Amino acid sequence: MRTFQDMVLALHRFWRDQGCAIVEPYDLEKGAGTFNPATFFGVLGPRPWRVAYVEPSRRPADGRYGENPIRFGLHHQYQVILKPPPADVQDLYLRSLEAIGLDLREHDVKFSHDDWESPTLGAWGVGWQVWLDGMEITQFTYFQQMGGVDLDPPSVELTYGLERIALFLQGVESAFDLRWAEWLTYGELFRERERQFSVYHFEQADVERARQMFDFHEAEAKECLDRGLVFPAYDHTLRCSHLFNTLDARGALATAERESYIARVRALARGCAEAYLAEVIGAPVSPRDRP
Amino acid sequence: MPLFLLEIGLEDLPAEEAEAVAQAFREAFVRELEAARVPHGQVRLLWTLRRLALLVEDLAEKQEDVVEEVRGPAVSVGLDPQGNLTPAALGFLRRYGGAPQDLVRRPVGEKEYLFLRVRRPGRPTAEILREIVPRALSAVPCSKFMRWDGGMAFLRPIRWVVALLDGDVVPLELAGVRAGRLSYGHRFFGSAVELGHAGDYVGALRAAKVLVDPEERARLLREAIAGVEREHGARAALSPELWTMLLGQTEWPRPVVGRIPSEFLELPEPVVVAALREEGKFVPLTRGGRIAEVFLGFAEGEGNPEVIRRGYERVVGIRLRDARSFFEEDRKLPLSARVPALKGVVYEARLGTLWDRVERLRQICAHLARLFGLPLEPLDRAALLCKADLLTVMVREFPELEGVMGGIYARLDGEGAEVARAIAEHVRPRTREDSLPESPLGVALSLADKLDGVIGPIRVGEIPTGSRDPYGVRRRGSAVVRLILEKGLRFDLFALVEEVADLYPGTEPVARVKAFLWDRLRSALEERAIPYDIVDAVMAQEDGDFLGVWERAQALRAWAGRPELPALALAFGRVRNILKGQEAQGFDPALFREDAEKDLWHAYQRVKPQVEGALAAHRYSEALEALASLKAPIDRYFDEVLVMCEDGRVRANRLGFLRELSELFLRVADLSRLVVPG
Repeated sequence: MRTFQDMVLALHRFWRDQGCAIVEPYDLEKGAGTFNPATFFGVLGPRPWRVAYVEPSRRPADGRYGENPIRFGLHHQYQVILKPPPADVQDLYLRSLEAIGLDLREHDVKFSHDDWESPTLGAWGVGWQVWLDGMEITQFTYFQQMGGVDLDPPSVELTYGLERIALFLQGVESAFDLRWAEWLTYGELFRERERQFSVYHFEQADVERARQMFDFHEAEAKECLDRGLVFPAYDHTLRCSHLFNTLDARGALATAERESYIARVRALARGCAEAYLAEVIGAPVSPRDRP
Repeated sequence: MPLFLLEIGLEDLPAEEAEAVAQAFREAFVRELEAARVPHGQVRLLWTLRRLALLVEDLAEKQEDVVEEVRGPAVSVGLDPQGNLTPAALGFLRRYGGAPQDLVRRPVGEKEYLFLRVRRPGRPTAEILREIVPRALSAVPCSKFMRWDGGMAFLRPIRWVVALLDGDVVPLELAGVRAGRLSYGHRFFGSAVELGHAGDYVGALRAAKVLVDPEERARLLREAIAGVEREHGARAALSPELWTMLLGQTEWPRPVVGRIPSEFLELPEPVVVAALREEGKFVPLTRGGRIAEVFLGFAEGEGNPEVIRRGYERVVGIRLRDARSFFEEDRKLPLSARVPALKGVVYEARLGTLWDRVERLRQICAHLARLFGLPLEPLDRAALLCKADLLTVMVREFPELEGVMGGIYARLDGEGAEVARAIAEHVRPRTREDSLPESPLGVALSLADKLDGVIGPIRVGEIPTGSRDPYGVRRRGSAVVRLILEKGLRFDLFALVEEVADLYPGTEPVARVKAFLWDRLRSALEERAIPYDIVDAVMAQEDGDFLGVWERAQALRAWAGRPELPALALAFGRVRNILKGQEAQGFDPALFREDAEKDLWHAYQRVKPQVEGALAAHRYSEALEALASLKAPIDRYFDEVLVMCEDGRVRANRLGFLRELSELFLRVADLSRLVVPG
């Protein structure tokens, strides 16, 4: 697989053939593909659901000024949701790695226990980090709860760390040396961006304004929820979540305060999940919606 | 008799839990088998992270029969006056297929009834297995249960089941999966394996690149580790956790040796060890207290070793680069500058912040400095700084480096060597197996730390019960006892607990704390193979000098083989017995009349200072020696003196004297608790 984009296209084809809807990244800052409404809402309720998409994911605290070969303030996740999980889900995942050109018989592949939890989303699941020659390339999770709601049926979430997998495919040591397209490197696209956002998140972001913005979006989310506007409420929840991450990266939160911010975001996420179940999928699911 | 194979195929179990789950499953299965009265031979446990398997030898083909008596009609109804069976009795016999000679008469209450001895034939084992296998699996405790298709909950999804009695499939079902004869070999290097016979299991799986026998894997790992140690003249830095992970991680382990980029060899050794061991990934090697330039990993299966080695080295490089940046980040601020921020970190809602905890440690340390004659200033400094490393990036990323990093940073900050060492050592022992601090200040700070972790939770009502001990109070209590016993700390623990009790919020009485520590001491003595009667004897009276209790136990154990001891124990038993339920206190030697009485009094006067001298010098064997010389006078006393005589004054005087004599013995041990032969 010569380029980053070829790898993405191959994953799109593979998961399309498995009945996934290939949806687009969501247009708000978020820490992981899990926050995309196609996952957050898709895994709720009984309706079968299969989607796949790329999600640029922002984790301000992981920024390294563009100086670390595999750590970034923004990285690219490839996200797959399979609901309910098929019995051969592990094999399916491994076949997707082969589809992008990894010969697994050359490597050391381990499914290493790692239970996933998102305190801000009120979500948790059990599963693994998949290690390829010791490097985590995928988070593989059986979701058990989302927005504080028990999931029935459960979903499997696959989150591929695209930069890391590309290192193997392209045989380079630093993500900035990856070819995105034949004529364009990852470094050209993102290195300066990484540097600037690290400066911003670690040194520049105005803590007081970030706190205020958090408060505004929280208030807005609550009012939307009061009016049954689940999706706008969720957008504001996402903004709160990102502002919390910004404050955290800035080192502005003492432990107790940090807990209270997490609890505030979680309360919003929970409100969204419950409102969605009550108001949006109170209606029966029609058979033609099934994948 | 047939061989039974059960294999449960799973999605990858957590490596750290696989063995425990496998063992729990074996136990539950054997328990069920026995409850179902199915005779069996050895039950061999085989497991990897993808399968739990049992091989049951000589499994009986059916349950044992049961003979039981069934009640039939009353005798008056079942037999006619001539003693012949009535139609009612014949009907009863027909129903159970019994014969007249199997009938017996038994009274029930006022009446007599006919009973039939009925043999209930055992059901076929295959049928029993269908019931007990799912039950046994449900009985396995898991750290966390998951659902994968809405049905059964277990640690990980169940994907295939093999159940063979010799060559025949046992038609059982587990979590919706029907058992068959098809197993699966290694994920990439094996294939599906059709098993013709249960006995083929281990060999067929080995051919499919799976070592199902954990012993076989352990041997392979050990040999590989020893080989690398030899080749590079280094020692593997294994830990129990790492070993569990290694054993659980692979079905077909294959060693791969990588090199650490030299730029990282300058990092502190514990940091590199922690980074390599993280998540059970790699085995670090050390040489003379420094990290060696090679490390060892175990690949799953037979991948390309060159490719894998490069991958391993890349991961190690990335993680060590992280570690170096954490180190550089942390060094921007001295430990002492982090201390005020401890006020912002909640330790426990009721017990306050980490700063509150540090304040308590300093208070306890002040007492310990006085008790052990240690310099207060450096001990107080170490107590002040010892929790500051919890605020460093390194400890947040590698929690196992708590304390260790504090020590390293303190040294680099220019704190005194003994201060740095005490900080590094104060977290030990982390586990039962962990070593104790070595420096005197480290011992004192560790003792303060563990004691705080016992007194605090107990005072606010977090007393461990059964397997529930969220605050690790038991582990800390045991650490307190270990420190005292193994470091030879002579002081009154109970007095110390009293003195610091007011530092803690909460309303649980201090007596709870003391009783808890006393109980930990009992466990410690039992773990050190002190027979229970000796434990009872030396713990008959509460005593805050735990070291003294331990030494008295050892003295008594050393005496256990000597012929004097049983006789002395019996003699003292006579003293204890006669004092039971008696209140008498005090005596006047002038009232002694009998020779034997005076004789014992003189002996006592001679022995008492000897015993007290020996006790003061903590020479407990000597104290026993002195007490032993009282054996003959005591025996004579009881042979010749009637303690419970008519004259109340004389009787009270005698009892008062025996009371004092008894007190002297009890300061060494309540010998009457010893189990003596005869």
